[in-house]
Amino acid sequence: MTARLRPLPIDVALVLAMLGLILLGLMTLARIGLPPSAGLDSQIVRQSIFALVGLALFALMSYSDYRILGIVAWALFVASVIALGLVLLYGVTRYGAQRWFLLGPIQFQPSELAKFTVIVLLARHFAKHQSDPRRIRVFVISALIPVAPVILILLQPDFGTAAIFYIIWFGMAYIAGSRLLHLGLVALISVMSAPVAWFLMRPYMRERVVTFFDPTIDPLGAGYNVLQARIAVGSGGLLGRGGGGATQSQLEFLRVRDTDFIFAVIAEQLGFVGSLIVLSLFGVIFVYALVVAARAPDDFGRFLAGGVLVLLIFEVFVSIGMNVGIAPVTGITLPLMSSGGSSLVVTLIAIGSVVSVSLHRGLPMFNPPTRIGLPPRASRMATGMQERA
Amino acid sequence: MEESSYRGTGKPASKTRRTLLMGAFAAGTTSLLVGRLWQLQVARSSEFLVQAEANRTRSVAVPPVRGLIFDRIGTSLVRNIPVFSVWATPADIPEDQAARISAEIAALTGGNKDEIELSISLGRSDPAEPIRVARDVDRDIALIVEERSLDLPGIAIRNSTKREYFHGDVMGAIVGFTGPIPAERSEMYARRGVRFDEDIGLAGIEKSLQTDLRGSDGRRLIEVEALGREVRELAVTEPQPGINAFLTIDLEFQRSVNELLNRFLGDRGAGVAIVLDPNNGDVLSMVSYPSFDNAPFAEGISAAAFERLATDDRRPLINHAISGLYPPGSTYKLVAAAGALEEKVAIPATSIECSGHLILPSGWIFYDWLLSGHGNVNLHRAISESCNVYFYNISGGNPYTEFRGLGEERLANFGREFGFGSPTGIDLPNELAGVVPDHTWKSRNLDEPWVTGDTYQAAIGQGLVQATPLQLVNMYAAIGNGGTLYKPRLVDRIEDSQGEVLEVPAVRELGKVDVSAKNLELLRRGLLEAVNGAQGTGSRARTSAVVMAGKTGTAEYSGPRDADGNPPSHAWFVGYAPAENPRIAFVVMIRDGGEGSSVAAPVARDLVELYFTGELPPMRYAPLPAPFGSGPSG
Repeated sequence: MTARLRPLPIDVALVLAMLGLILLGLMTLARIGLPPSAGLDSQIVRQSIFALVGLALFALMSYSDYRILGIVAWALFVASVIALGLVLLYGVTRYGAQRWFLLGPIQFQPSELAKFTVIVLLARHFAKHQSDPRRIRVFVISALIPVAPVILILLQPDFGTAAIFYIIWFGMAYIAGSRLLHLGLVALISVMSAPVAWFLMRPYMRERVVTFFDPTIDPLGAGYNVLQARIAVGSGGLLGRGGGGATQSQLEFLRVRDTDFIFAVIAEQLGFVGSLIVLSLFGVIFVYALVVAARAPDDFGRFLAGGVLVLLIFEVFVSIGMNVGIAPVTGITLPLMSSGGSSLVVTLIAIGSVVSVSLHRGLPMFNPPTRIGLPPRASRMATGMQERA
Repeated sequence: MEESSYRGTGKPASKTRRTLLMGAFAAGTTSLLVGRLWQLQVARSSEFLVQAEANRTRSVAVPPVRGLIFDRIGTSLVRNIPVFSVWATPADIPEDQAARISAEIAALTGGNKDEIELSISLGRSDPAEPIRVARDVDRDIALIVEERSLDLPGIAIRNSTKREYFHGDVMGAIVGFTGPIPAERSEMYARRGVRFDEDIGLAGIEKSLQTDLRGSDGRRLIEVEALGREVRELAVTEPQPGINAFLTIDLEFQRSVNELLNRFLGDRGAGVAIVLDPNNGDVLSMVSYPSFDNAPFAEGISAAAFERLATDDRRPLINHAISGLYPPGSTYKLVAAAGALEEKVAIPATSIECSGHLILPSGWIFYDWLLSGHGNVNLHRAISESCNVYFYNISGGNPYTEFRGLGEERLANFGREFGFGSPTGIDLPNELAGVVPDHTWKSRNLDEPWVTGDTYQAAIGQGLVQATPLQLVNMYAAIGNGGTLYKPRLVDRIEDSQGEVLEVPAVRELGKVDVSAKNLELLRRGLLEAVNGAQGTGSRARTSAVVMAGKTGTAEYSGPRDADGNPPSHAWFVGYAPAENPRIAFVVMIRDGGEGSSVAAPVARDLVELYFTGELPPMRYAPLPAPFGSGPSG
């Protein structure tokens, strides 16, 4: 008998939502960036290439057995930490931070990759200790996993991305069953150490925090982007101002429109309705990852899907939140939409890993899927491996 | 489904619950975003739409064309000539290049690099608005700047205008000139919407009519992008060009009056001549000699030339007709005369004995100009022969004869009645008020009590009395026309750029002097006699051309005395002609000229002949012999 992958109807919905967001992002970039004739300088061209590469890797990841990730988790993790170290030594500096490798015309941002490898390693760690996830030792070791990448990322410096790692850890530890007491203590300590963090922050970070609370303090300086984004979003109204009428984005009042403030561009052009469409498409992805996590065949799969879910929720919330003035400006990209190849590719791989968990439900390990088709009957599943072999 | 082969599953129920709680978390954050988006995009959308519109549009000023100035019959006194100017639009100048661009512009135009850079950085508050960084550059320089436009982003050559003045030798002080806004007044002009790089009127009519001559800005509503660069024009309101002002002065007459003073005073003396129409206050001529040519000021006068003007003892930069304060001397006696008649201190027949002086009990002696005395004088003779002692009596009284005078209070009141002590309100800047002294003024300004001698001095226009030549001629115009004090009119009419008359500035009465027609007639008879009588002090003004009335004045002032011990004096002659239904009122004042009867009166005669014959008569007297400032003469 042939073991088959069992795509859920929702797998199709996921792919459609994903493609929808990517296309919406590309359409937006087409409006605000350089035209395709600019070649690789044009965001739309670069982003299209990355989208194709990302989708290929997404497919590859989906059909590969996610459990391979568990085996190579440490290798991936170490590789990404080394990459983070190298970027500090050899990377290029943009916007005051050293985050990128130049690989020919391509810029590669190791911190994006590190997000995913940390999720994988955490998933492995928690899965391995599922006999007693409540033990303090398990909890403490899990907390130490993101330390190396976080330190290297803070050195770039990139406060927002560094923060994501502990958000991911916190969410995954919660899903994995850590004691609420431990989690509560961590949350308490985080809140209480806020003044210390303030002390350690660089001036631009403090400025961002201050302007988050009141952007009008410095409307032409630090608060400028926040105010302009809010004006862009608000002026979009119910149905949007269309491409030509969207003066905030077309006349460049809105800055960093292709990355940090891409949502404001969409919200201005497509209005509340467009904003809801974007949020709904992300909602589909959230629900998908949630269902996969809940119905995962094993703990590793569950925590992997859960970790990706936490990552996506956080990135979407903060990225859109800073566009509408309910989250501080942290430079976190909007998944699948912001211009940025590393983010797009890694996000697609991460979602691919969730799809893999969905597709490989009940399949023995290293059983390469044959074809997508009808769900195999339960009786076939147990023997699939031998038959395939 | 849960029978996975990969590792243990722990406590599925708890993990599933926690996983599903992540769903609740996702739902929570998403709802938060939806709520916020509803608030921004639906509830408060219109507010942000307004902000977005305000963001995208800028209103940029389009400067108007400055109005012109003509004489009474339409002779051009100024025109606008096109010049090339260099303008900078800060929005188009990258900040890191501002220093380089400023240096290049400075090198090309001979300007100051720091000033240009400062202007550009100041302009960044409204970056779409161009700033003028160099004016009136050569055509060659303009071409170079145009050619180098790629290296000089944000720099453009624009056609603008500058003033070119005509007949500045005789009209300079009246027309005035324009120039850059003085730093200390920049804020005031900014509040009125005048751009900081604009030229404004700094003197004369250019200054007093600044607002009307300037016109009002047009506006261009433009769409800009975030850096303030213009994207396109949305709407234009054309600027309102400045008005064209036609002065009451007739240029040819003005030129002749100037020549009249010039041939007498040359480069030695200084004086003022004003001719008014007594029936409406029109200023027909106003010459403060010597004066300045305004043409070089339009170009930016050279330091050396300015220095010459500024250091000339005769102070040619000041319009002495309105900004010079002098004791009016005997010409002021008519104030005391009017007051005494009106207050019934004296009647025409009142006779006072003049023995050539009057000694107060305090020991002070007040002389008449005629030391032998005039004998018994009545009002008529007192005016025509200018008897000081008569006016001492009727103003301050006489302690020996117990004649009760007018008193300083009422004397001052009648001075004010004739317009002294306050500016006439002529449309020229820097007009002074003068001084009508009384005890309040004296105690406030000199901290001394008023004494009878002060009243005597005031009655003959000496001592503390200070007046402008314009105030004097305006008083005589009022006497001549039957008692109406007019605001001197300098702007005859105002036309728009198409030649439509927009406004004829109304003839404005400052008031009717509170002197009865009968008493004014008595004053006029005295003035007629002063010129035409056998003993009249103004006999040298007499002319066959017309019968005039007038009064001489020899106003002493403190200064170096001459060999005979006489203080220096200004020579006055004020009057009107014809004596009946006068058509002109006039004043001639020769500063430091000596006696009114011998120095000012002949000049006044020429002035009147000039007006009534249309020709400057031949010179029948010698030019002023002594240089200005060397002491009294003639």
